[in-house]
Formats: sequence, C-alpha cells, structure tokens
Amino acid sequence: MGSSGEKVLIAAAKRGSVDAFTELVAGYRDGLLRFLVTRTLSFADAEDALQDTLINAYRYLKSYDPKWRFSTWLYRIAINNAARLRSVETIEIGDLSDEEAGPLEQCIAAAERENLWLSAKNLLNDEVYAAIWLRYVEDMSVRDISTILERSVSWTKVNLLRARRQLDADLNSEVGSNKSNAYG
Amino acid sequence: MDNLAKRLREDADLIEVAVSPELDDRIYASLQGARQEASQSVAATRRPASFWWASSLTGVAAALVLVTIVNLNESEPEIAVTEPPVQQFSIPRFNWKPETAMLTESLEQELEDIQSDLKKAEQAVKEDFDDIGVRALSEKGL
Repeated sequence: MGSSGEKVLIAAAKRGSVDAFTELVAGYRDGLLRFLVTRTLSFADAEDALQDTLINAYRYLKSYDPKWRFSTWLYRIAINNAARLRSVETIEIGDLSDEEAGPLEQCIAAAERENLWLSAKNLLNDEVYAAIWLRYVEDMSVRDISTILERSVSWTKVNLLRARRQLDADLNSEVGSNKSNAYG
Repeated sequence: MDNLAKRLREDADLIEVAVSPELDDRIYASLQGARQEASQSVAATRRPASFWWASSLTGVAAALVLVTIVNLNESEPEIAVTEPPVQQFSIPRFNWKPETAMLTESLEQELEDIQSDLKKAEQAVKEDFDDIGVRALSEKGL
C-alpha cells in the first residue's frame, strides 16, 4: 500500500469507518500476530493481544501523529498490550515449566536446524529481542525502534550490536558443532 | 544483507502464523462495537442548539444582574453617622419677686426677723408636702 493510499485510509478511519481501518491494518495483522506469538505465553494470548492492539489503535487513531510511520505506532501499542498481558499472566499462573512448549515453539515449522529466534529468546531479554525483531524482520530504522521501545537511539544501537554479537556467536557455535558432528 | 540478518529473516518466515477467519470476524465485531460506543459517547456529549441558546441567555442575564448590583451599591448614599440627640434639661425658671428689705430696726433685730420668716416658710413647705403625700395615698386607696 502506498503512503498516499494509507493516508486516505487513515483519514477515513479517523472519521469512524471500520472498513477503512480494517483495510488499513490488513497488511500488518499477520506480522503483528507473529511478533506477538514470540512475546506471549500462549497462542490464545497472542490473538487477544492482537485484538486489543487493533481495538486500541482504532479508538485512539485521532491521537496518531502522521510524523510517525503507521507501523511504528501500531507496534508500540502491540508491545504495550503484550507487556500488560504478560504481567497479568505471570501473577496468575507463575512461570511455565520448561517442559511446556510456548507458542513460538508450537508455531515454528519443522526444520533440520534450530530456529534462531528460539536461541534469541533464550539469549536476549524482551526489549532487546523486540529490537532485533523490528530491525531484521520488520526492517525498521534504529530511530523508529527507539521510539517504539521508548529508549534512546544510542541505547538501541548499542543493544542491537550486542545482540548481534551474541547471536553471531551462537550461530558460529551451531555451525561448529554441526561440523564436528559431520567430521566427528 | 549479511549472513545473520539473512538467517533471522528466513527463520522468522518459518514461524507459521496467520490470522484465522474466526479471529478476523472477532476483531471486526469488536471494531464495530468500539465504533458504536464512540458514536454513543459523542451523542451523549453533543448538546442541542437550544441548550447553547439557553445557556447563553442565562449567562447574559447573570452578567446584567451583576452589573446592576454593582452599580446600585456604588450609588447608595453613605449612611451619615449622627450622634444621638442629647436631651437638654431646662432649668425651670422661678418667678422670683425680690423684695427689698427695709432695714428699719437694728441689724440684730432684722436677722431675727429673717430667721423667723425662714422657719415659717420651711414649716409651710413641709405642710404642703405632707398634704401632697396624704392626697396621693388617698388616691391609691390606702
């Protein structure tokens, strides 16, 4: 969708059109759900978080500032919703045992190698994980990521670099272990 | 794109997630609900034109009353603080009829005569007072 088309839809949705809003977010829904699956404790929660995100976005669309990218604004709401949901769940049910597979594990297609996002989830904290996701999956700029996470640009840069190093090291060790297995 | 970025992108694509039609319907229904809620709250806060007319007129009337009260207070004359009138007692004037003493006798004799006249006068006054008291008591029936 072109930015002019997006502007037209935003204007119509601000006037209350649900159809215009549905069309506006159609291109973001799957990406948002995939992102939310990595940040919640169950798939149902990810769906609830997506629903809350879109409802909140519709309700507060009048406060949307066009100087932001629409996706930036949407992800900001999604992160807040996921965080709120997680804090409630943590209080209610406590930490899940290691044996229970989370929604991310359930949604990853069977592959010969381990998915790097699973390693990232184990290695990185929530904020840095989100930063890496937004940078490499959603192609967002460092400035946009810092806006979404409410962090400074320098904090975002430093943590993206650290995360890259950690994931690089993990990737190299995986390659190394594969080699050793192959030649072992 | 470096190796890590490529790998992160590929692995993200392996996360198989899509919004189901049921979720889609649920979200659409929630959005419709939010729209109705918003339109109801707007309608609740929106007031008819007559309300604004009435409130404007009330405001103007209140302002006029205020201005009038302020002006009335300004034109009201100051209350003069006057001292209560002092009751003046008038001294009753007696119609004295002085008589010239005729000093025909010796001074000692004249003095005795004057003293005798004073005693007589005193006696007469006493009798008059007694008469007045007896009359007052008889009027009261005592």
